[in-house]
Amino acid sequence: MAEPYLRVEGLVKRFGPFTALGGVDLEVYPGEVHCLLGDNGAGKSTLIKTLAGVHEPTEGTIYIEGKPVSFRSPRDASDAGIGTVYQDLAINQLLSVTRNFFMGRELKGPLGTLRMDEMNKIAHDEMLKIGIDFSDPTQAVGTMSGGQRQTLAIARAIYFGAKVLILDEPTSALGQKQQMGVLKTIKKVRARGDIAIIFITHNEIHSRLVGDRFTFLALGQTIGAGTNAEIGDEEMRRLMSGGAEMGDLKEELAAI
Amino acid sequence: MADGNESDRLQEETTFQRLLRRPEIGSFTVMVVIIIALAIASEGKSFNALGLKNNVAIIAQYGIIATGAAVLMISGEFDLSIGSMIGFAGMSMAMMLKWGLPFGMGEASPFAAFIITLAMTLALGWLIGTVVVRSGLSSFIVTLAFLFFLRGVTEVSFRLINKSTQISGLPDYKETSWFANILGGDVFGWFYDIWFMLGGNLNRRGEQWVEGFDARFLWWIVIAGVAYFILSRTQIGNWIYATGDNKEAARANGVPVNRVKIGLFMFTAFCATMFAACQVFDTNTSDAAKGNLMELFAIAIAVVGGTLMTGGFGSVIGVVFGAITVGLVANAVFFIPAIDGAWFRVFLGAILLAAVFANERIRKRITGGI
Repeated sequence: MAEPYLRVEGLVKRFGPFTALGGVDLEVYPGEVHCLLGDNGAGKSTLIKTLAGVHEPTEGTIYIEGKPVSFRSPRDASDAGIGTVYQDLAINQLLSVTRNFFMGRELKGPLGTLRMDEMNKIAHDEMLKIGIDFSDPTQAVGTMSGGQRQTLAIARAIYFGAKVLILDEPTSALGQKQQMGVLKTIKKVRARGDIAIIFITHNEIHSRLVGDRFTFLALGQTIGAGTNAEIGDEEMRRLMSGGAEMGDLKEELAAI
Repeated sequence: MADGNESDRLQEETTFQRLLRRPEIGSFTVMVVIIIALAIASEGKSFNALGLKNNVAIIAQYGIIATGAAVLMISGEFDLSIGSMIGFAGMSMAMMLKWGLPFGMGEASPFAAFIITLAMTLALGWLIGTVVVRSGLSSFIVTLAFLFFLRGVTEVSFRLINKSTQISGLPDYKETSWFANILGGDVFGWFYDIWFMLGGNLNRRGEQWVEGFDARFLWWIVIAGVAYFILSRTQIGNWIYATGDNKEAARANGVPVNRVKIGLFMFTAFCATMFAACQVFDTNTSDAAKGNLMELFAIAIAVVGGTLMTGGFGSVIGVVFGAITVGLVANAVFFIPAIDGAWFRVFLGAILLAAVFANERIRKRITGGI
């Protein structure tokens, strides 16, 4: 196996007396989908925000291609190739697809004019690469479905140099069919082979479908990790519910 | 590819259908109706040589400040201090022209009076913008404070230095200063020359009647043209739309949201200063009540022109149509003496309400009914 693009070692993040992350390890390889699983409050959000440069770690180190890095701002992280697609997607509904795609990083000609035709073409082509043939990139994002908006945000992150793509629960607010659309998009990005994907989800089926490797978090600790083949269904359910035995839960429920 | 082509559910449209769906179509239709109705009701007087000049003068005044207000609204903020800024800038220029430069630096040329005033108004615009973005308070309340503050400063300064709240009888600087002439003089004389050569534009003695439009017509064209170009063709334009639509999304993508807003508060201050400068150098007068209520007209015209109250959407072309409509109706009483001038406000209220509903429909259509 190649060297991991991103490696996290003993990451600790404390907010005052509260320990949000108590020593997390993570390895993410290019061309792989790494599912980050865990219940609410397990520390998933804190972990990705630390990777995205929003928080600075209290202890521990983040390595990119083997070299230790420290991010002081989201800008640092994105310059280092970490592209985060948050749940709210950072998208403007009233603006066109192209204007959203290039928001804040517009292609300029002399006098600060926009190279609109070129931008339209790039937006169209980049979205086509990962699965949506959008005939008119000048239409407003408000007319797109939730899944298409995900695709736009993912295509944008990749185009602007993301080597690690962090997807924060991209399927959680979508209908069944659109969830499948997003999973297809994830598969297509994976097939490029040069991008590492961190896929945060609550959904066991989704992670089974696209995941290569899993890391389970509970109460700020890594409670399990392994490849898709290594982890059986029972084990997976146990780890997802924070390590509690499903059998125990059944008994507890029966006792009521 | 089940999810591949949801965009195909959008209907293909012809150019004509696209034109009908443009956000400016409402204000354009109203404008055409008003032009025709006014031409008939005034028996052509509102569009004869002098009528056209007078109408364009007020349209350009409205147009200049409405452009500033509209671009600021697109970025998601209001400026209620525009009217008071006009009064302040007019006072500042007229006072320097009459009493000389501050701190005894001698007589003021029109250029010096304008530049010093512009420096002050831009600084005020910067201050207003900075207070709004740093405090996170609604621009409505911050600029309302400046509405009172600036009007008060204007009146107090007049009384302290000038002993009266108006200045009149300044020399006609247009005769001696090219700079005063480009702000207060005539422009597009060729238009009226050609009209005269074609046999129109005659006064009772058969001589050429009107020499040209007021210079503010040119400044309106320049300001609206630059605003149109910036909004639709430049990076800053994209930033303005992005800031007004969803500030946090814009910020997350690296748009300098605060700088955009502060810059646009300075732009409305600039528009107010141009309004005042054209007025001062045209009439060689100023008084403390100048620009009263203009902030509300500016916002009303921006909305009639299709600008969304919530930001993120609007067009300079629509605002041009809005300014023409409102300007013509404001002036109608001079050409149709039979009507009561207060009908203007009744009309403005009615189309404003209609425009708000129309804009809301457009927004829903774009965002898919959310």
